[in-house]
Amino acid sequence: MTMGLEKLILGSNAFEGVSYISRTQALHYMEHFAKEDNIVAILEAANSLGVRAFMCSNCPNIMAALQKFPKAGQLSLLPVIPNAYEYAMEASEKGVLGAVLTKAKGFSMYQKVRLGLRALTKIKSVISKDVLDLLLELIHFELAGFEKYPLGGVVLHGQVTDLALSSGNPDILTIFQDLVRDSYEVEPILATHNFGVLLPQLIEWKIKIPVLGPLNQKGFMMRPSKDECEKLIEESGYTIIAKKVLAGGRLTPEEAFPYFQGKKVESFVCGIGSVPEAYHTFSVAKSALKI
Amino acid sequence: MAGERRAVEESKKVRIGVIGLGKLGILHTGLVNMIPRAELAGLADINKQLAKYVQQSGLKAPFFSDLGQMLGEVPLDAAIVCTPASANLGIAEKCVQAGLDVFIEKPLAHTFEAAKRIAALVSQKEVVHATGYLFAHMGLFKKAKSLLEANVIGAVHRFRSSMYTSEVFGRKKGWVYDRSQSGGGVVINVASHLLYLLHWYFGPVRSVFAQAKNIYLDVEDAASVIFECGRDVVGSLDTSWSVPGYRLPYIDVRVEGDNGTLELNNDYIKLYLYKSQKGFAKEWTTIYKIDLPVTSKFELGAEGLYEEDQDFVDCCLDRTSPAVTWQDGLEVQRLIEAIYRSAEGRAVVGLEEVE
Repeated sequence: MTMGLEKLILGSNAFEGVSYISRTQALHYMEHFAKEDNIVAILEAANSLGVRAFMCSNCPNIMAALQKFPKAGQLSLLPVIPNAYEYAMEASEKGVLGAVLTKAKGFSMYQKVRLGLRALTKIKSVISKDVLDLLLELIHFELAGFEKYPLGGVVLHGQVTDLALSSGNPDILTIFQDLVRDSYEVEPILATHNFGVLLPQLIEWKIKIPVLGPLNQKGFMMRPSKDECEKLIEESGYTIIAKKVLAGGRLTPEEAFPYFQGKKVESFVCGIGSVPEAYHTFSVAKSALKI
Repeated sequence: MAGERRAVEESKKVRIGVIGLGKLGILHTGLVNMIPRAELAGLADINKQLAKYVQQSGLKAPFFSDLGQMLGEVPLDAAIVCTPASANLGIAEKCVQAGLDVFIEKPLAHTFEAAKRIAALVSQKEVVHATGYLFAHMGLFKKAKSLLEANVIGAVHRFRSSMYTSEVFGRKKGWVYDRSQSGGGVVINVASHLLYLLHWYFGPVRSVFAQAKNIYLDVEDAASVIFECGRDVVGSLDTSWSVPGYRLPYIDVRVEGDNGTLELNNDYIKLYLYKSQKGFAKEWTTIYKIDLPVTSKFELGAEGLYEEDQDFVDCCLDRTSPAVTWQDGLEVQRLIEAIYRSAEGRAVVGLEEVE
């Protein structure tokens, strides 16, 4: 089942214990959202306001919440893959390729046979394979947990997008784009922390794909500059999805959303830390954006 | 072929070789690619299998599993070294001998002795040298330095600091956890960033008293340190990589001065002033990282990494000194050595004893 991009998207940063404001808040999120029922409560609140799109990683607490949420079948899920945090933690012990290898150990027998990964205890058995083939299998593997839910799109994690960008490698992005469109029949989306650098490069590479970047009234994380990002929003003709809309919590919804009036931004991802915050943020967004 | 300074002047681009393609090495290749006045000219790693990764990653630079071959065949101006710390000395010797400017990821070396020998390599040579202590390039930490320098909280009496992360909760493999390759545990691998910050803010340190604890590994998993610095400043540091609830390394520094207090962490600076000072109001002022202007044109991996490489490239072109030199790296290493000696001997160790 496939669905299009919705205007308002619930984000999952808070569910993963991420806060840009303080350690106290991050700790609260970690503890509060370790209980999947507290995530379900926010999914319920968002749903009651008509927000059915949910962008998330495959963290265990989020997957458990999806299992419990009775209306999960009506969601439009936007998985962010790969789970870069998981890889980064593994990489400090095992190296980058070792982290990939650990993940590859979870491949199905069919996948292993396809890749010829029979001696999975040895890194060289993996890296002697085609790196791009391995990437394809990793995408399938990461998406396997979401297969019973309706997908609204698949988001390539910003770390991977930005690494491909900085390596001058359009192939990874093209493969991701083709795979998601062909195999899952939904829109591929590129997340980035370098919106204003990525978009001109995509135009040069002739890769037309929706882009998810930090865009907000404060200019927080808008690289290379707020002005350049704003110019690209107006002129690029790309489907643009804004994240960090509330500038990591430093803007109120009343301050944040009017900035987007008249701007060519397709959708907005908002991380939510409590049920009242869900009602407040999404109500103001709907009013300001005339949804 | 390497070290032809004249070529730098003509092309106005620094030709860089990245040595060691682990997590940080891969990030540095991307970052160098994004710096307009830098050119990624060569890649080296002893793992020959990485040739295929390099070929398919989009990187245009040639790959070598033999550093000597890269230095002999590729015209380079500078090197970025991202190998396990125990390899740094040998690589630095080769790079300096080849006439290259050199950036070494932190720590400078796995032992104080090796760090001394690295720092000595440049005592007689005109080489641009940098150590990868990232905090020097992060906006919030630079802001805190400027507030301390401007005496906003007045003369400092004491500080308390901590750095925690959730990384080790059982046996771990990898060079980071192997003393012979990394030089130790949480102090040298994680808290060295905070030690750089304390050295930058309050140094020089006169003496330390430390206790370290091995919980899961053969290297220390936690440590507590008391510092005596110049100008009668005393301070403390507590660190562990075995504390739950820290997705990423998190620092906290609390400074007390004549005029008030300054609290610094990953997210904000909070001032409490007994009366208004230097444009800051009486009592509370909070400066969030989010509110500081974006200073980097690109971000990959972590805040400050692009600025760090940009600073190194600029210094290579301008023949100036980067924000964190090998001498700074050596001073942090002296502090680390003093902490380890103190913890082992259960005694106060003066920094002048560590030579």
